[in-house]
Amino acid sequence: MDTLASLLHTSPALAWMVVKIVIVFSAVMLLASVWTWVERRGSAMIQDRIGPNRAALFGRIRIIGLAQLLADGIKFFFKEDLEPTDVNKGLFWLAPFLAFVPAMMGFAVIPFGRDFVSGGATYHLSVLDPGNGMGMLYPMAIGGLAVYGVLVAAWSSNNKWSILGGMRASAAMVSYEIGMSLAVVSIFMTTGGYDPAEIISAQGSLPWHWNVVPQFLGFIVFFTCMFAETNRLPFDFAEGESEIVAGFNTEYGSMKFSLLALAEYAHLMTASALVVTLFFGGWQVPFVAHPSVGLSILSFVVKLLFFAWVFVWIRWTLPRFRYDQMMRLGWKAMLPMSMVNLVVHAWLMSHGR
Amino acid sequence: MGVVVKKVELSWLDRTYVWPVLKGMGITFKHFIKQLFTPTSKRYTIQYPDMKKVMPAGYRGLHELKRFEDGAIKCVACFMCAEACPARCISIEAEEFSDLNITQGFEEKRPQVFKIDMLRCIYCGMCEEACPKDAIWLRNDYEVAAYDRLSMQFGKWDLMNTYAEADGKARITEDPIPSAPRRAIAM
Ligand code: SF4
Ligand code: SF4
Repeated sequence: MDTLASLLHTSPALAWMVVKIVIVFSAVMLLASVWTWVERRGSAMIQDRIGPNRAALFGRIRIIGLAQLLADGIKFFFKEDLEPTDVNKGLFWLAPFLAFVPAMMGFAVIPFGRDFVSGGATYHLSVLDPGNGMGMLYPMAIGGLAVYGVLVAAWSSNNKWSILGGMRASAAMVSYEIGMSLAVVSIFMTTGGYDPAEIISAQGSLPWHWNVVPQFLGFIVFFTCMFAETNRLPFDFAEGESEIVAGFNTEYGSMKFSLLALAEYAHLMTASALVVTLFFGGWQVPFVAHPSVGLSILSFVVKLLFFAWVFVWIRWTLPRFRYDQMMRLGWKAMLPMSMVNLVVHAWLMSHGR
Repeated sequence: MGVVVKKVELSWLDRTYVWPVLKGMGITFKHFIKQLFTPTSKRYTIQYPDMKKVMPAGYRGLHELKRFEDGAIKCVACFMCAEACPARCISIEAEEFSDLNITQGFEEKRPQVFKIDMLRCIYCGMCEEACPKDAIWLRNDYEVAAYDRLSMQFGKWDLMNTYAEADGKARITEDPIPSAPRRAIAM
């Protein structure tokens, strides 16, 4: 790291920061785009189909259809960038970025590996070092911002279907945010801090000490709310082919649409990183008290990918909810459940566990 | 009379949703694994250009005009198929030919032009039913496509040759016996 820093004429801390940012965000972006393919292929397998397997590099190298990513990207890139006449131009252009950037930003505080000491300096494997004062509140707040992407896209495109989709999505996000936050609060409570590094180290390396076991109810609530937050299938109310065409992205095409679609998958990655950090011990390796840095990163990535797959898996297992059903579930089931979870843990803590 | 809707009483376990969701995930995962480890050839999907569906016997696809072993067309230009065709897409122009060995000096009929408009054909098989000489058959082949309308007008030689190579027959572009010159019919 020092040599890299001296090569670039910067301080090691700055070089380390840049390296972390580049690696983390390019990895998330890559994973998000790979996940579009995983989703299509996985859903195909689940439904006894085959899925996109024909795209090939140079028409020859057919890596189980992975070139589909490139093909999709190229196709979207070269499509005509249509802009309907009556859209609000500025917002119409801004919306995809508003959707994509917050989805990525949430990843910034997630520790994806163990801290390590090299040359007398401690290196933290998360983009923002622990103790930054924002902790887990940051991805929650940023996650709340994600609704603006959808809403602005819907509003600016001057289309009834879009507006309906955006309204439904924002209503869903807002109502599920409360249950989700309360579920997270009880974790803050039992941990005694809201820094992700603290939360992870408090969970230890034994799987039955991970938050998912004592707070199973909280996990259920949080995970369900994550589906609503990411606008994924059991609760994908921003879209709905049979009701409101393509919802908030009806008017979008080419690269802007692709960004909106990618935002969903980036959000999915961030969401599963949150689930892993809060409930599954982050980078902790089961039964290994002091894992090496590489092992801890591997453990985190495996958990992350597993939960990202669970998102896909559940999407293709459950049918869609109706709008009122989802609202009922949010307000009448998720909110009370997370409250009960909070109260029970508060009571347990006041009695010294 | 209305339909009596049976209300399903959900058990306590089903009301939690968590267990049924897990069950459903089990089912989908079973399908996922099963499909993942099924070799491509055994999957339901027929990956068209690489794999082709074997059509059942009696499938009505592209027509073939049958021929004798010496390459002479079996069709005698009787117009039965053109009459029977509900889409009116067969147009035949007859000609005469004479071969002393076969016809002993009499004239025989055969089509000079035998055209089927494949865009109008509904592949009903009536022409095959009607033909007294079994000269026109509907094959199992279903790949009938072209880039323009004109190439979907299948002529006599198209109908005789399209699948000749696939069947191991020689391509022919000429009748073995030349047609007899037209004569004025004596009134
Ligand atoms: S298959 Fe039917 S429609 Fe087609 S040429 Fe024969 S009789 Fe006509
Ligand atoms: S194909 Fe058969 S029915 Fe049609 S004109 Fe020839 S002999 Fe007659």
